[in-house]
Amino acid sequence: MIDSLIFSMKRRKKCYLLILPTFIVVLLFRYYPAFSGMYYSFFEWDGALVKEWVGLKNYTESLQDVKLLHSFMVVGIFILANLFKLIPSVIVALLIFHLKSERFQYVYRVLFVVPMIIPGIVYMLLWKFFYEPNIGLLNQMLMGLGIVDVSKPLMWLADPKLVIPCIIFMGFPWVGVVSVLIFLAGLQGIPKSVYEAAELDGCGPIKRCLTIEVPLIMAQIRLSLVLMIIGTLKGFEQILIMCNEYGGPDGTANVPGLYMFRMAFMEGRVGYACTLGMLLFIVILALTILSDKFVRVDK
Amino acid sequence: MLFFAFFPMYIMLQASLKDNVQFANNLWLPSAPYHWENWAVGWLAVKDFIANTVIVCVFGVGLTLAFAIITAYIFARYKFFGSQILFYMLLAMMMIVDIASLVPLFTLLRDLNLLNTLSALVIMSIAGGQVMCVYVLRNFIEEIPKDLFDAAEIDGAGDVGVVWNVVIPLSGSIISTLAILRFIGSWNDFIMPMIIMRDEKLYTIGVGLMSLNAGYDTQWGPLMAAYCIASVPLILIFVFTMRLFVKGLSSGAVKG
Repeated sequence: MIDSLIFSMKRRKKCYLLILPTFIVVLLFRYYPAFSGMYYSFFEWDGALVKEWVGLKNYTESLQDVKLLHSFMVVGIFILANLFKLIPSVIVALLIFHLKSERFQYVYRVLFVVPMIIPGIVYMLLWKFFYEPNIGLLNQMLMGLGIVDVSKPLMWLADPKLVIPCIIFMGFPWVGVVSVLIFLAGLQGIPKSVYEAAELDGCGPIKRCLTIEVPLIMAQIRLSLVLMIIGTLKGFEQILIMCNEYGGPDGTANVPGLYMFRMAFMEGRVGYACTLGMLLFIVILALTILSDKFVRVDK
Repeated sequence: MLFFAFFPMYIMLQASLKDNVQFANNLWLPSAPYHWENWAVGWLAVKDFIANTVIVCVFGVGLTLAFAIITAYIFARYKFFGSQILFYMLLAMMMIVDIASLVPLFTLLRDLNLLNTLSALVIMSIAGGQVMCVYVLRNFIEEIPKDLFDAAEIDGAGDVGVVWNVVIPLSGSIISTLAILRFIGSWNDFIMPMIIMRDEKLYTIGVGLMSLNAGYDTQWGPLMAAYCIASVPLILIFVFTMRLFVKGLSSGAVKG
């Protein structure tokens, strides 16, 4: 039994050899950090010498951490906002899909995608410039229209009341390339016969959109939804770039990822940061499973 | 809507040709004289960043795909002891969110003395791409008729030969789609370079632009020119591969 096993393993020796590079990289740089993070989360550790086993203390501390709670609330607001920000992508996908000529479809697709392909960081820095109080576009425009007093420019990202709306408004008109392409793919998968039947029943364009197209691309919408939720929960570079490592004025726009980042790299609390990472992971996992259950569409 | 989509690009382009006085006087419209030298200044400021990013992207994407294609081919073609378990071991990593391991990853790289090196970024790119690429490629390679592999083997090709002569030519479209996606991903990567790099000379484009932006006494013209230059490679790649990209992505999305 064991002999034959060893024999078959020997026969397939080259298989093991050829997949070795992938597994070395994945084990060392994906598996090991994931588990060592779990391990470190039980320590009070400054990242270097001082390392002390504290058991569950980091976890109990995090549950009472007001700043962490706040950051989860902020990220909750962002998720809600991003939910609405998916709508323009659906509309654009529908519009492009219903263009009669194939060439126009292609042209519009390119036109919509090109501006979105500027590197994320450039896009964010541009928006940061729009929000700049003295010379930024937004204040210039509002002052020009006389809405904002010239002597009292709005501080936008530096204003605790405005920073979250500012970050939500960013990226207007909120058309995401990937979502549009995913939705388009879904729309193209709808069989022609469904349309013909709808036409026979005297179904107008708006009704057709609401009762046929949107339900039929639910699978794609669900996919973007899950991707969006995960992306929002773990994302913090936007806040880091737009505001600072404290999450804007008084930490108003602090998100969990950023908090973790700051704990690890600014405040030297690596153990606690690992705990936060684990919590974030658990929340994301739970939400993914939940959203998969609840938004499931029978097809 | 298209107007709004292009608006940031427009502002960036026209502002890149102004000096600070023109910029303050008239934000909205291009105005003469056009300062083309801004682009020269911008290029000087970002050329090292771009070079670093290109190195990381090319090696990262190339090695990611080289590793992933071979592994995917093995998993698609052979059943061997533990192949199922090993494959699920890879897939399990899809559930692990990278952010949870960000901090331990940093300490690992520090212990391996890889901080502040471009090779660390290349390795990160390889490790980050394996799971997804192996998964997608395996599905694709499984659909290639097995007879083709056998035929190549009879002609004297080893496994590497089969991959080179059969798998790669037949899965060209999916491989290039993955390559483009990975390339765009690496180009946009910000967090990893930021925590790994200390030395300004080794900054990649994201961190580099950020450091330019944080500088005192901003010269908006050259800065905007630098933004434009940083965007050019991605736009070029995208324009040239648009057809392929849209096709590949849509077929991938339908499957998933």
